[in-house]
Amino acid sequence: MIAYKFLQPDGTSPFSGFRWTLPEEGAPGQWVEAAVDPCRSGVHACRVSDLPFWAGRTLYEIELDGEVVEHRRKLVGSRGRLLRRIEAWDDDLRDAYTRACADRAHELAFSVSPPLEHWDAVVEPAVGGGPALLGFVAARIAEEISGPAAYRDERYKQASWLAGHLGLDG
Amino acid sequence: MDQVQDEQRTDAAPTDEANLITRLRNGDEVAFESIVSRYHETMIAVARSYVKSDDVAEEVVQEAWVGVLNGLDRFERRSSLKTWIMRILVNTALTRGGREARSVPFSSLIPAEEEEPLVEPERFRPPGAAFAGHWARYPHDWTTLPSEALLGRETLDVVKHAIEELPGPQRTVIAMRDVAGFTAEEVREVLEVSESNQRVLLHRARSRVRAAIERHLDG
Amino acid sequence: MAEPADHITCEEVVALVSDYLDGALPPEQVELFEQHLNFCEGCGAYVEQMRTTVAAVGRIREEDLPADTLDRLLAAFRDWRRQ
Repeated sequence: MIAYKFLQPDGTSPFSGFRWTLPEEGAPGQWVEAAVDPCRSGVHACRVSDLPFWAGRTLYEIELDGEVVEHRRKLVGSRGRLLRRIEAWDDDLRDAYTRACADRAHELAFSVSPPLEHWDAVVEPAVGGGPALLGFVAARIAEEISGPAAYRDERYKQASWLAGHLGLDG
Repeated sequence: MDQVQDEQRTDAAPTDEANLITRLRNGDEVAFESIVSRYHETMIAVARSYVKSDDVAEEVVQEAWVGVLNGLDRFERRSSLKTWIMRILVNTALTRGGREARSVPFSSLIPAEEEEPLVEPERFRPPGAAFAGHWARYPHDWTTLPSEALLGRETLDVVKHAIEELPGPQRTVIAMRDVAGFTAEEVREVLEVSESNQRVLLHRARSRVRAAIERHLDG
Repeated sequence: MAEPADHITCEEVVALVSDYLDGALPPEQVELFEQHLNFCEGCGAYVEQMRTTVAAVGRIREEDLPADTLDRLLAAFRDWRRQ
């Protein structure tokens, strides 16, 4: 099954530090095998809906094989290999997404009366923190106004924005 | 999934342990010196949980090593060597008895609530504020410091001192887990403290040591 | 039944960090913890500080056995050896 994975620019996983072999000139990277023990080992990957939660520096398409377990915000597989880098996820698109989340956060903060000025004050200073941070900020402000369902809904909107701009299915 | 790395641990693997026991039984002083050095800090920390002064703790540790040597021929390796040594230490501390030993279960030494918070509350956005509970100011990135600052003599002294200043149960658990590399299960065997109590003590101890290093680095 | 949490705060991360480093958190909490680290530089720095702290504590082994302590212990060892 096809899924997505964020890695550091050097090809390592942000949490485990594991170094992936990267796809080159159309050839996939090597298969990685792991026993599936939720959150302790196994190949972690994102569905499209998970992308906003794990937004990172570089994005790859990954093929998962063998036993795949669905978790709340990720997939964990026993076997995976990187198929291709998603080139569209570059610095310009990261900045555009960050800006879109910041604009959305402002919009939300001023969508109520009185406006959430203290919440809004965090937004611009946070922009340097990048896509993952601003995605959280916007969703959190939505939650502050309309509750947990609004948080999830805002995340879903973020995932749709990403899928559309990256040309991903689902 | 991140695990604390074990690179610093050189605990004896089963064959290394058998080797060490043989050398000790043969009267090898170098082997003895290496093992007492390895566990001294931890044994003092554990003893201090049961007795009232550093001097008495030193005596208890000394007595415990005599007990270890006297029992060496009969040691059947049903537990690891280090667990066995620690049990002798605990028993020595308890049987010393009288006014100097607290002959109470380890668990009863653990206070129910931490007196002061482990990170000052002012470092987080206050309850009711926007993004309450998030950092008001980020902690510093220690990875940008030169390695001598983190690995050097001064910092180690700060760490040693911080551990010595910990309340007894916290000092014992961090010494056994992080200094001497005992597993949670081994600590439970030796001290008869539950997994959850152990985790709380370790968390508090590590937090205090981190704070001490931070104060030192911030100057 | 209440929905599980969607996110945790930095204060909660600070409370959980020791268990996280030891692999003692249940999977759902690990996921929330790592999601938070993914967006929060401050907590990334704090977790790294804690890792450094544990590593530093591990380095005080075989440190500075006081000379007189060593002498006393060696004396005891030699006495035992003679028997």
